[in-house]
Amino acid sequence: MLMKKTICFLLLFTALLGPGCQRNQKPTIAFIAGAATDFWTLAENGCNQAAKELPEYNVIFKYTTDGATEEQKRLIEDLLVNNVSGIVVSPLDPVNQSPLIDKTAEQIPVIITDSDIPGSKRLCYVGTSNIDAGKSAGQLIKEALPAGGKVMLFVGKSDAQNAKERIAGIEAALKGSNITIAGVKTDNIDRVRAKANVNDVLVSNPEINCFVGLWSYNGPAILNAVRESNKLEQVKIVCFDEEEETLQGVKKGDIVGTVVQQPYEFGYQSIHLLAKYISGNKNAVPAGKQIIIPATIINQANVDAFIAKMQTVRKK
Amino acid sequence: MKKEKGIFIIFVILCVLVAIGNPNFLSPANLKNTTRLIGIFGIFSIGSGIVIIARGIDLSVGSVFSLIGVILSMLLVKHQVAWPLAMLIVLALATLIGCFHGTLVTKYKIQAFIVTLCGLLFYRGIARFISNDVTMGFGYGEGFSIVQYLATGNLWGIPLPFILMLIISVLAWVFLHKSVYGRYIFAIGRNEEATYFSGINTDRMIMLTYAICGLLAGISGVLLAFYTNAIAPSSHGNFYELYGIAAAVLGGCSLKGGEGSIGGIIIGAAMLQVIQNLVNLLGIPSSLNFAVMGIVILIGVLADKFLVNRQMSK
Repeated sequence: MLMKKTICFLLLFTALLGPGCQRNQKPTIAFIAGAATDFWTLAENGCNQAAKELPEYNVIFKYTTDGATEEQKRLIEDLLVNNVSGIVVSPLDPVNQSPLIDKTAEQIPVIITDSDIPGSKRLCYVGTSNIDAGKSAGQLIKEALPAGGKVMLFVGKSDAQNAKERIAGIEAALKGSNITIAGVKTDNIDRVRAKANVNDVLVSNPEINCFVGLWSYNGPAILNAVRESNKLEQVKIVCFDEEEETLQGVKKGDIVGTVVQQPYEFGYQSIHLLAKYISGNKNAVPAGKQIIIPATIINQANVDAFIAKMQTVRKK
Repeated sequence: MKKEKGIFIIFVILCVLVAIGNPNFLSPANLKNTTRLIGIFGIFSIGSGIVIIARGIDLSVGSVFSLIGVILSMLLVKHQVAWPLAMLIVLALATLIGCFHGTLVTKYKIQAFIVTLCGLLFYRGIARFISNDVTMGFGYGEGFSIVQYLATGNLWGIPLPFILMLIISVLAWVFLHKSVYGRYIFAIGRNEEATYFSGINTDRMIMLTYAICGLLAGISGVLLAFYTNAIAPSSHGNFYELYGIAAAVLGGCSLKGGEGSIGGIIIGAAMLQVIQNLVNLLGIPSSLNFAVMGIVILIGVLADKFLVNRQMSK
């Protein structure tokens, strides 16, 4: 009797395991994003859309919660143990992570997104050029200050690769003009400090007439601090990325413009590319091994259309 | 009392030095900005301090800010709940979280460090989960601009968070320094067992300190949420528990319990904000922010020790 019961139980157990095993036979593609911010949530939406269109693949999306490179290493190692077929990585430290990318690329195809590692054995890069994005912001600054002036930059961490590239782009665009960069204020990804920094600069450097927010949350932080100090008339604001308050600020005319990337496309295009490559279509990778998704300037003229587009993307 | 005096003198010296370095320090705009932050940080520092006086510790404050902010935004923006009800819900939740810590510490005798460390991890995780890691905002505050005004507005030119902190600190001062319950809390911090055998319900008093800490963290959490007007669940309030603990210890509380005062905690909280303000006003690179904070606190504590020791030997 007991024997029978045990056999029944075992049969039931294997029956339950069955579907699980079958699911594992589908090739899996993993996307390893940066810290959990709106930017990567949009990339996740792009991945989900691609996953819907590719029912024969499993798509998994992981955030790097600590913002630490060793966490990315552990994630990649765990994925390799689980026989993942291909991964997309947004490297936190492109310079020092290239050995890890090379080692992984020997086993499975690796796509790099957001910050490229040009010399590595990656399959392809899908992302924006942050230097170009910085140049676009520089153009906005020049439009905002036709008579010249001083700008202050605000960012979470000035040693992050995308911050360095955006600053380099802005510097290149402002070269030869009568606009100077007074400095860079960092806040360690703390919104309270980000806003307090703006308040402090408004007090200590009243001559600065343009504030630039390099990371997504710096835009709203600048906007709120300047508005509460009643200085929207004197100070021009230029931002990056597409936080809700930033877009509302552009719409109202309080912000000159914002430079946006298209993280949704990062997710969508990289998953499709990997799927094509894994299924045997090696020609899907472009010859230059780069797919550049352009950064665009959003100002009062095109902000309504952009907000409408964002709403449809977020719903997906 | 002496400790409080020492830290107050150092605070005044620091302010005078910054004002000499940049006279804008005393401009109305800067005083408003700085006192607003002192108000927000001071309120939860009082809670952290009371817990420390009873020989406990609360490490979960920063994560509670994140959870409260996310829930507040969901209630007000997504579900359109009336603001008095939404405030009541989040403040009750924060107090309950405090009671929960208190129960684990007193009834189950788990170390406060472990209980609140688990809280630090747990509440942040929950905040990120229920918000799907999406930044939660309040936009332009249609329907609840009154509460937004609480964090960003002024009364007679004084920032409201600062006024709120003054009211709370008077209440806390009466509670801690003038009532018998305050005496109990100091006694527990000195020697919990002796206090218990004196016939005092120590468990209930410890529970009360965590509940107060939770409630004050809730109030600060609401103010912080409206100060930034957006809550990024993974980073909002990260490490803020350390500001509370540092303010308390800087203001004369001993981590060994049984020592400290409300006045000292407030001065400690104010000092931490002035230090961050001076980094920007004196044009020190932002990268040195934490280094300056560390060195000024250390000098402050050393000078305090020197002053107190000299007074004692007299």
